[in-house]
Amino acid sequence: MTIKSQKIIGQVVFVMLAFYLDGLIKWAFLNNMNKVNLTIIPQLMLMVLVMLTMRIDSRKMILIYGIVFGLIYDSYYFGLIGLYTILLPLVLVGIDHYKFLFTKPSVGYEISIYFISLTFIQSGIYLLEKLFRLASADVGDFITFILGPTLLWNMIVFFVLYVPFANLSDWLVSYRRGTK
Amino acid sequence: MQKFFSNKKLIILMVIIIVTFGLLAVSVSVRNKKETPPVVQQVGNDVVSLVDGVFAYPTNGVKNISSEFSDLYNTYQENRRLKSKIGDLAENQAKLKVAQDENKKLKQELKLNSTLTDYDTTNASVLSRSPSSWQNYLTINRGQTSGIKKNQPVMSGSGLIGRIVEVNEISSKVELISTDNEINDKFASEIVDDNKNNVTGVVSRFDDSTGDLVMENVNSVKGIKKGQRVITSGLGGRTPRGLYIGKVYGIKKDDYGMTNSVYITPAAELRNFTVVTVIKSTVNGEK
Repeated sequence: MTIKSQKIIGQVVFVMLAFYLDGLIKWAFLNNMNKVNLTIIPQLMLMVLVMLTMRIDSRKMILIYGIVFGLIYDSYYFGLIGLYTILLPLVLVGIDHYKFLFTKPSVGYEISIYFISLTFIQSGIYLLEKLFRLASADVGDFITFILGPTLLWNMIVFFVLYVPFANLSDWLVSYRRGTK
Repeated sequence: MQKFFSNKKLIILMVIIIVTFGLLAVSVSVRNKKETPPVVQQVGNDVVSLVDGVFAYPTNGVKNISSEFSDLYNTYQENRRLKSKIGDLAENQAKLKVAQDENKKLKQELKLNSTLTDYDTTNASVLSRSPSSWQNYLTINRGQTSGIKKNQPVMSGSGLIGRIVEVNEISSKVELISTDNEINDKFASEIVDDNKNNVTGVVSRFDDSTGDLVMENVNSVKGIKKGQRVITSGLGGRTPRGLYIGKVYGIKKDDYGMTNSVYITPAAELRNFTVVTVIKSTVNGEK
């Protein structure tokens, strides 16, 4: 097996790990069912995908990651196809399109990009679900009780996990740098 | 027109919008059918759930430990309270055994094979919860192979927590009773009181702010008191009779003062459990 395919397997395992963590963290720690005032949605998979997208050069690869992981996410967690399947590749390609503006990934850049993508994805899901009458909250409630806490929680987690995740992402895509 | 088709970005945008709405519209409209999800999706979900089991096992362990610590904290008071109930329990168990035997014999006499109160159970452990605000789903590790079907009610320890919404081969999704989805949060129920007054209604809503279940379409509120038990009534045929839902907390009039809603404190701690029980009714109502 070439180093390239080994690294790709590593990337897939990394993303899948974050995928499972999303569901498990929600289940184990953020499982607010009795009092549903604040809803926090862990989005570690998005975090990992944003970090990888900042480092991977091939847009085709990014698009494939977005569609495949979006599809799995939709099917396993939502039971509906069409939310992450569309929004995730859109966000990732968007990041890829504008990342030439940044010379080198740094915590400041990446956290702002993650912030914007998280806002985009959550708002997109809200709008689509509202359109299909799956969501009930109105815009004010959505921003105050769902989007706000979700952004805050995920930003804190991003800060805590930045150093190990960024190093791991660097290492997982580094075969390109070596050959350049 | 020529100019429009030469603009690649515009066409891509159009295609994306059409695909998004198409996919969502199809999956929303087919999700309540019996034969969904399609086999490909079932296999995919099962594979994902298999690996999820590996991660869920230690997570559930940690969850159990943390709830054990909080249990330990309350042990002394709880122990005193429970000790006072032990005498009652033994007596009631003996009574129940006699009544059950008698019931079985009488049913045989009447050649009644199954009634609304008969059901089988399957235990399953929880793998994960959807990281989503509106899809209140739990994934559990039992599916078609264990005889689970759509719409079967799910209990956790003491009370009702939701209904099965999606069944794969070896995993399924449970929609929690706290959902907003109007198809799945309704349970035909009745209030058990001492005067044998049959107060029936439908548990049809979850009050986010108080964490109470709301029972609507109540036929009369006469004789309803705080603390009375609410069970499923078995009417409608989807749910067997006698599943414990919770206790009456209070009665409120609706915004127009027309109808009464009974607020129920759910019996199931909708937070601290790792194992659920799927109820399989032996009487089939509507298919």
